[in-house]
Amino acid sequence: MASKYIALPKGVSEKDFEAAVGHFRGILGDDAVLTSAEQLIPYTKTMMPVPDAEHTPSIALLATTVEQIQKIVAVCNQYKIPVWTISTGKNLGYGSAAPAERGQIVLDLKRMNRILEVDKDLAFALVEPGVTYQQLYDYIKEHKLGLWLSMPAPSAIAGPVGNTLDRGVGYTPYGEHFLFACGMEVVLANGEVLRTGMGSMPNSNTWQVFKWGYGPYLDGIFTQSNYGIVTKFGFWLMPEPPAFKPFVIQYEHEEDIVEIVETIRPLRISGVIPNAVVIAHALYEAPVKARRGDYVSGPGSIPDEAVYRIMKDHKLGIWNVYAALYGTQEQIDVNWKIVTQAFGQSGKAKILTEQEAANDPAFAYRTKLMRGEMTLTEFSLYNWRGGGGSMWFAPVSQARGSETLKQMALTKQILAKYGLDYSGEFIVGMRDMHHIVDVLYDKTDAEQTKAAYQCFDELLTEFSARGYGIYRVNTAFMDKVAETYGPVQRNIHRTLKKALDPNGILAPGKSGIR
Amino acid sequence: MKKLKLKAAVSGFLFTAILMNSAWSAQEEKPGTGFAWKDGAEIYAKICAYCHEANVGPQIRNRELPAIYIRAIVRNGSRAMPAFRSSEIDDESLAKVADFISQKASQY
Repeated sequence: MASKYIALPKGVSEKDFEAAVGHFRGILGDDAVLTSAEQLIPYTKTMMPVPDAEHTPSIALLATTVEQIQKIVAVCNQYKIPVWTISTGKNLGYGSAAPAERGQIVLDLKRMNRILEVDKDLAFALVEPGVTYQQLYDYIKEHKLGLWLSMPAPSAIAGPVGNTLDRGVGYTPYGEHFLFACGMEVVLANGEVLRTGMGSMPNSNTWQVFKWGYGPYLDGIFTQSNYGIVTKFGFWLMPEPPAFKPFVIQYEHEEDIVEIVETIRPLRISGVIPNAVVIAHALYEAPVKARRGDYVSGPGSIPDEAVYRIMKDHKLGIWNVYAALYGTQEQIDVNWKIVTQAFGQSGKAKILTEQEAANDPAFAYRTKLMRGEMTLTEFSLYNWRGGGGSMWFAPVSQARGSETLKQMALTKQILAKYGLDYSGEFIVGMRDMHHIVDVLYDKTDAEQTKAAYQCFDELLTEFSARGYGIYRVNTAFMDKVAETYGPVQRNIHRTLKKALDPNGILAPGKSGIR
Repeated sequence: MKKLKLKAAVSGFLFTAILMNSAWSAQEEKPGTGFAWKDGAEIYAKICAYCHEANVGPQIRNRELPAIYIRAIVRNGSRAMPAFRSSEIDDESLAKVADFISQKASQY
């Protein structure tokens, strides 16, 4: 007899699953338990080069309260049902809203979308998982709070809880998002509700202003993990500066990345340039202005000659350094002098400000990202190859010029072997760089999809062999990346998992942890 | 509080233990006043327009595209366009935004 469900959790009988679904309906009501194939399509579509069937959920649950989540967790424990939690569900290029493994139930917290508090004076927010950046942005504007957000490129449709819990980054001075997280509420696998840091103390009013609390700091173990379900999340917001000066610095040669990084690092560490600077390759910015098909046809990666034509036609550097100054006009004037002197020394840099580049579409969307305004223009990347295939390859690099050049060259070489283009950028932390490469391919083309999978696998293998670790990865490759960090870390992760979630019900497979 | 936590740990996963230890949530779980869309124009402006008015996705407004087609694309996605779940855009709101897009002359 055909199953009532489009998939079942591994090792769970249909009879048991049916009984659990009955409980879920009792907890949430029939409308919040999604079981039909039609309802579950948006939980199945991914951009990864693996069959969607491998990431098809059994059902999805739409919870709106902590108490409901506690009860769901109890049912999952009773029937040993794995539950994959999502917030806004827009982890595009990392697995989207689909679970790590076929048959897991999705706990969708998008409707848990209250902005619980935004404090203008202390500049913090406390929100639920379903709050989007757009929602928070509108709230701040409506109440004239004078605070800025930092968000990733899918801004409007993504949210601070999911992004920060997966340790995503943005482009303002608050761009390393987890650095600015302050206090979580977490439903544990045994149903207890933990408030981290100062939140553990009844009547405390310092939950969102002091990160550490007392004793071991716990927030970190709830990021990129499956040790609990975060239901409230505090984080700091940046007061709107009196003045803001975005700029782009263009360079002509790929080897110039060495000079760029050596020039930026001291400015970034000293705080002269306070934001998460981006060093974007021409092919990362080109899709905003150009169509690949106008420059190259047929299989294979785009030749350098075509990239140089794109640069010339569309006023791009091979490297485009986007950064901004924030503060009073006086502070900006002083820092601008330091920046222009530093970059002006070699004579290779072309420095553009709003005066020259305000109407440039790449500069315009980068400016929005650096001041926390909503834009989805970076999705132009998806038009480069078309077909909806995308995986983020995200190794960490030292902020050292020679290292960034090595990583770029190795990535480009491996991508070219599989006929794929180098659409890469470096996001500058204080001392590190997130090297972010969109591995773009046509998912409707079986050969290209196969090549993309093999390419990504080789990238992970080759980078880890050289000691370059990946900071975040899509759900098809989590085990492979976990393995690269060695057995001791993996064992610790497992030990914590056993202690906190002995039945292994919470998101098994997340970050390779079961 | 400490005793309650210990009891919860020992009791494992019983509902009773969970309810005893839900003091934090009990204070705040009043009926939600979460976000709700106002109308089709708002959804268009705050989701669709970021791509479809920015040369990222194709133009869809004022082409009299059938509402049923728009609803299907929103729920299924299309190539790189993400699929949107009913938790993000509920069925009623989806009907509103589909109507907005499919009109002859929607103002954005």
